[in-house]
Amino acid sequence: MPRRTAAPLAAGGLDFASLVRQHQSMVFSIAWHLLRDRAVAEELAQDVFLSLHQHLAEMESPEHVLYWLRRVTTNRALDEARRRQRRPMVSLESAPEPVAVTLTGDPMLGTALRKLVAALPEKSRAIVVLRYQEDLDPTEIARVLAIPVGTVKSQLQRALALLREKLTRVAGQAPGLSLGKE
Amino acid sequence: MTPFEDELRSALRRREPSPDFTERVLARVAAAPVRRASGVSQPWIRWVAAMAATLVLAAGGLEYRHYQGERAKSQVLLAVRIAGSKLAKAQRKVQMLSHRSSS
Repeated sequence: MPRRTAAPLAAGGLDFASLVRQHQSMVFSIAWHLLRDRAVAEELAQDVFLSLHQHLAEMESPEHVLYWLRRVTTNRALDEARRRQRRPMVSLESAPEPVAVTLTGDPMLGTALRKLVAALPEKSRAIVVLRYQEDLDPTEIARVLAIPVGTVKSQLQRALALLREKLTRVAGQAPGLSLGKE
Repeated sequence: MTPFEDELRSALRRREPSPDFTERVLARVAAAPVRRASGVSQPWIRWVAAMAATLVLAAGGLEYRHYQGERAKSQVLLAVRIAGSKLAKAQRKVQMLSHRSSS
C-alpha cells in the first residue's frame, strides 16, 4: 500500500466531484475490461465511487485514493464476474476464436485482442488489464490483488504467450489483420 | 515493450463512461442515507472503550471475590456459633448428670 501522509485528503482541497472526474475513466475501464458489459461496468463504477464517498474520511493522500480505487474496483469486478458467470469458465486454449471474417484490418486487432483477453480466466484477465491498461508493474499488481509477485509474473507470461498464439491463429484466418513484427 | 504488448496496451486503453456519469454518481451520493460518523470508528475511542470494559470486568471480578470471601467468613462464624451452642448444651447435660450421680 502506498505510504500514507500525515495530512488527511480533505486538507489537500480535493473535493469528491473532482475525484470522480479524475478517476472515472480508470474505474470504469477496469470494470469494463473485466466484465465486458458497459451497463454493468458503469453500475459497478458508481458503486465503487459511492463506497469511496463513505470512506472518504479515511483517505489520506491522492495516492491512497488511487490505490484504494484500483484495488476495490478490481476485486469487485472479479467478484461480479465470478458471480454472474455470464459465460461458462473456459481456459484460453478452449475459448472460441473471434470470428475471423470480421477481422479486416488494424482497427479490428484491438477488438480481437479484447475478446481474447475477455476469454482469459478472471485472475489472469485482471493481471493483464492492470499491466496494460493501468501500466502497473508486477509488484504493484501483486499488491492490488494480494497475491505473490511470482504468481503475477508467471501468470502474465503465460497469458501473453497464449494471447500471442491465439492471435497468430486468428491472423492466419484473416489476412487483413496486421500483427506487427517483433 | 514488444509491438505485441504495444497493441495490447492500445486495445486496453482507458475508456470514458457515459457523459453524465459524474452527475449520476453525485445524485446517488446525495440520495444515499447519511452514514452517521460513528465515534466508535475512531481507533483511540475503541482503545478507551476496551480499556474501560477491561477495568469494569476486573473490578467486578474483585468485588465478586470479596463477596464470596465475606460469605464464607459469615458461614464459618455461623458454624462456630452453632458448634459453640451445641457444646454448651452438652456441657450442661454432663454437669447435670455428674451432679445427679454425686447426690
